Amino acid sequence: MAETSGVTLREPANRVSPRAPVAWAAWAVLRFLVVAIAAAVVSTWGGGFTIPTWVRAAYLVLALVYSVAMPAYRYQVHRWETTETAVYTQRGWITRERRIAPMSRVQTVDFDQNLIDRFFGLARVTVTTASAAGPLKIDGLDRDTAETLVQELTRRTEADPGDAT
Amino acid sequence: MTELAHDAAWRRLDIRMLLVHPVNELIRFLPLLVGLFFLGSRDSSNPWHYLSVAIPIAIGLMRFATTRFRITGVQIELRRGLFSRNVLTTPLDRVRTVELTAKPIHRILGLERVEIGTGSASRSGEGRVVLDALGADEAKRLRAELLRAGAADSVDAPGTGPHLATQSDTVLLRFDPAWARFAPLTTSGLVIVLAALAASGQFLGNAIPALLHRTDVGHHLRSLPLVVTVPAGLISFLVVISVLAIAGYLLANWGFTLSRDAVGSAFHVRRGALTTRQTSIDPERLRGVEIHEPLGLRLAGAGRLTAIVTGFKKNAQGSTPMVPAAPVGVVIGVGEQVLAENGPLYTGLVGHGPRATRRRYIRAIVPTALVPAVLLLAALGGAPLWVGLVALLLPAAGVLLARDRAARLGHALTPAYVVVRWGSLRGRRDALQRTGIIGWNLRQSWFQRRAGLVSLTATTAAGRQSYEVLDLPEPMAIALAAAAVPSLVDQFLVRPGVRSIS
Repeated sequence: MAETSGVTLREPANRVSPRAPVAWAAWAVLRFLVVAIAAAVVSTWGGGFTIPTWVRAAYLVLALVYSVAMPAYRYQVHRWETTETAVYTQRGWITRERRIAPMSRVQTVDFDQNLIDRFFGLARVTVTTASAAGPLKIDGLDRDTAETLVQELTRRTEADPGDAT
Repeated sequence: MTELAHDAAWRRLDIRMLLVHPVNELIRFLPLLVGLFFLGSRDSSNPWHYLSVAIPIAIGLMRFATTRFRITGVQIELRRGLFSRNVLTTPLDRVRTVELTAKPIHRILGLERVEIGTGSASRSGEGRVVLDALGADEAKRLRAELLRAGAADSVDAPGTGPHLATQSDTVLLRFDPAWARFAPLTTSGLVIVLAALAASGQFLGNAIPALLHRTDVGHHLRSLPLVVTVPAGLISFLVVISVLAIAGYLLANWGFTLSRDAVGSAFHVRRGALTTRQTSIDPERLRGVEIHEPLGLRLAGAGRLTAIVTGFKKNAQGSTPMVPAAPVGVVIGVGEQVLAENGPLYTGLVGHGPRATRRRYIRAIVPTALVPAVLLLAALGGAPLWVGLVALLLPAAGVLLARDRAARLGHALTPAYVVVRWGSLRGRRDALQRTGIIGWNLRQSWFQRRAGLVSLTATTAAGRQSYEVLDLPEPMAIALAAAAVPSLVDQFLVRPGVRSIS
């Protein structure tokens, strides 16, 4: 529990898209399904063993809890902000990480979408610096927001000369 | 491609490099050749052997014939390849390090392999320019040219003659063979010990009983009491390991010299008994130093110094040695000269408080206590009790380790550097230039959040790419991050008086 005497680091100003938790849940469900289907296939045609009912039940409960709780909790954590001079992100859920990078040290700005992102109209923006440790990733941005963000970041970093090391 | 009239002519590798491969191959095939010569069994010998000599020679010839390089006003160009043409161009102001290596064969032939590290090298081996090999003088000249070009970019280089660079070096460190006494205590020495233990477990486990059975030695040994044989074996083992470690240390570090040249003010490190290695570091690319003080060295009052440099090879763990294992006074003395600031290497540090200390103890004791706990439980089921009791030594060692780790943990902020000290067995003290920090990561696991601690990581383009300040109380972490890099973190801070938004 942080002391109240000192200054504190506030959270980044912006949340990610409200559709992001839905996409994360979809991902989680998909991954659980793949395992479940694989297990079903093996136990049906692989022969020789059946998965005990309590294992199936436990798996189902785990999958449900994870698919609901993880996205909800992550949505509370994931935040981002850019200013004239810095990029600031917060992500994670069990382990939480806040990253701050000066705009003048930004080297590349990546925009990417996986299949589920595209389905939900989301995108991820990755900002890298000259350090191999610590790209700043913003997951689950609204597509349009992500595109404007990329343009803005590119414009700002172009204004800065030098090799950013 | 613009080819201006004043551009330098293309240069080739040294013709003597053609001999490197044949000599190499000759040495490898020497036993075979001797056999062929004396036995005269030429007709029965395998023709592939000749091919395996001929092919490397042919490759060498082709490499010589097709490799060309030149330095124009602003960049170095390297052309390679016969069928596939490959032109590598690197701006001179991106040249960060120049390394000359000479294996024994190179040295006999008077050659040096030149490796030029550029900024883009930080992610993979690509973008490094390797010239294998140039004549020793030409290599030195090239190095001077490259470093001067890099330095002139940022420093007002005074009128530099073509041969000034090697003239007036200031020597910062000269190797003392007596330092080899620290070799068995270094981490690499410990690695040798462990490897030897593993190997001996495999090999001696079979060989020794067989030997004892077959010879008289077995009888004599068995007649000795165990109290004599076990310590005697242990001592002879330690002696062998120490000798190996010392030999390795001397081979790698013989003639270690750290100097600074007057013109480009670059640092030059020269070392190696058989294979010599000369590394040059542009001070503009130097972002700090690491003092390595693993437990063994620390107990002996020794340490090692490595430089944190941008654009250096990742496979060398991003650091280049500046002082081999040596008395800590020497290490700090050299470090201060390299950093050009008094203090970072011996200044008092701010501790991270009781919660960080408690975390050190928990993290050391919980995993080490699991083993005896399991073994003691097993003893209830009939397993021998003494095994479990002996295993209690593990958490005891864990407590000692935690105490050391907690006592060492600390950081400081000096006018130009962030200083971090951490670890016990592999302990280090890192001094990272504040201007070299290109981002902050504040990481909190669930346990850390409960304890109000933050692991603060400074990211940088140099060395290991990131330097962690472990388990800081959150306000302290924020204050450090804000103070070390001005006007970066401030904008995200909330003062206690002001109400925060959201």
